[in-house]
Amino acid sequence: MKEHRILINKIILTLSTLAAILGLGFLIWILFVLVKNGLGAMNLNIFMYDGAPPGVAESGLRHAMVGQLMLAVGATVIGVPIGILAGTYLSEFGQNSKLANFIRDISDIMMSAPSIVIGTFVYAIMVAPMGYFNGYAGIVALAIMMIPIVLRTTDDMLSLVPNTLREAAIALGAPKYKMITQVVYRSAKVGIFTGILLSFARIAGETAPLLFTSFNNNFFNLNFNEPIGSLTVTMFSYATSPYEDWQKLGWAAAFILAMFILGLNIVSRFFINRKRK
Amino acid sequence: MLRKSLVSLLAASTLMMAADKLNGAGATFPAPLYYDWAYTYEKTTGTKVNYQSIGSGGGIKQVKSRIVDFGASDEPLQSDVLKKDKLMQFPAAIGSIVVVYNIPGIKDNEIKLKNEIVGDIFLGKITKWNDPKIKADNPNVNLPDKEITVVHRSDGSGTTFNFTYYLSEVNKEWKEKVGTGKAVDWPVGLGGKGNEGVTNYVKQTPFSIGYVEQAYKRQNNLSGATVTTASGKWVEATEDNAKASAKYAKWSKDGDFYQILALQPGDNSYPIVAGTFILLPEEKADMNKDVVKFFDNSFKNGDKSAIELGYIPLPEETKNLIRSYWKDKGIY
Repeated sequence: MKEHRILINKIILTLSTLAAILGLGFLIWILFVLVKNGLGAMNLNIFMYDGAPPGVAESGLRHAMVGQLMLAVGATVIGVPIGILAGTYLSEFGQNSKLANFIRDISDIMMSAPSIVIGTFVYAIMVAPMGYFNGYAGIVALAIMMIPIVLRTTDDMLSLVPNTLREAAIALGAPKYKMITQVVYRSAKVGIFTGILLSFARIAGETAPLLFTSFNNNFFNLNFNEPIGSLTVTMFSYATSPYEDWQKLGWAAAFILAMFILGLNIVSRFFINRKRK
Repeated sequence: MLRKSLVSLLAASTLMMAADKLNGAGATFPAPLYYDWAYTYEKTTGTKVNYQSIGSGGGIKQVKSRIVDFGASDEPLQSDVLKKDKLMQFPAAIGSIVVVYNIPGIKDNEIKLKNEIVGDIFLGKITKWNDPKIKADNPNVNLPDKEITVVHRSDGSGTTFNFTYYLSEVNKEWKEKVGTGKAVDWPVGLGGKGNEGVTNYVKQTPFSIGYVEQAYKRQNNLSGATVTTASGKWVEATEDNAKASAKYAKWSKDGDFYQILALQPGDNSYPIVAGTFILLPEEKADMNKDVVKFFDNSFKNGDKSAIELGYIPLPEETKNLIRSYWKDKGIY
């Protein structure tokens, strides 16, 4: 009987180890292909020049990198305050009320909504009435994706703050808003910040919500009221073209984006670990 | 005198009002060409023409809802459809579609396939490379005793529309069983997404056959089959043969240039060629003038880069016909 159990244990352990290796293997494989093709395609021109047709040497991704950053930062400016305020409401005011739980459920559903649906929604409410593709629609679409992530992490992080801290602040005569901003936020700030970083990393690599909102731009553009270029959409159209130099730029775009997001994730891990210590 | 200066003043003011930014969307196939033309145009005039490839269907939809300044489609629209949506249409360039194959040891243009045989292969009626029907036209080629793997598009596409139109014209059974469309019910084969997907499948699968745009064939060094003209003469998919085909096209202003170019007459006319079209919203006269200026300039200076990228420029007579169409519409 005992041997039987040990045997089952060994089999399951082997299988789950294999599954982990398989998953990890694919990740390493993807990164390897990306580094191999992407690193080879990197050069200084990529950072100095904007898009150019196949066969032109002065061809780069400056317009797309700047555009992508503008969109992601713009979305953060809209999405983060809303997400934090909503999360604060859930944890500090709504708590376990019906409304609060309803909002939590809706937010969870939104988190798993396909991003193309959000893009189409913003197309209908902003692009169609305005009559042209523009950067504002792009940042709204990304912000909609960001809000549920920030909301959920804020809610979770605030609920980790011990109630005794809140009671102490109230006992000292602090009004509720001071208790929240100076005591609760202060002890949860690393967690909230990590949530913001993760949500930023999440939206920085999106294509689908941008396709029919901020569209894409082959030219350098800083005006939110016009189509804005993005690395992701540019990557797609370059990678599927027949021309080798464009395909290389596509790899470079993928490499830059992956390293940027990997970097953001590593930074947020670092913050999480520091908090644990 | 006063009138003249007033007119010139007006002209100057409309010139100043001219938009320095134009947005277009649509067909994937001509995107690199418009990108190239726009790049040169921006360098010489400062006007930025931002064209994005979202597919012909998307281009038609976005210009219908007036979200973009011009749309682009590989499938021409008929005049009544254009009228309903208040659109104008003209061709901008021509492309050719090549039947490509991957048979180890057999080079480009070595295999000759009659148009009807191409249909039989895509129907799944001919399943082996050494089928007597193929052998008959290729007596000196060492055809292998291998199954043919058919590769087609998995997504809706203008390339498929033009290729299946050609198959319907040359193969009765194809017309009855499958027909013409941007996406059809393929009797056999595996699907690749986009021209690049079909290219990759054909490259990686020995003994396969597929169809791609000329630029993909050339850039990836695929082997293309020699096919037949409308009258049954052997013809290779070269630039000259596609040009010869373009010359015969009977474009007309009356039908808003609605024209499917496959199977033109002539001894050197490559049979699978297709136009790619621009759609303009009728009521936006000022915007249209700017768009037309861009295409007029590209017609004048863009032929060389079109050929380099694998496209066939429109013949001079066609360009002039388009210019007179613009004049009729008051936008040139």
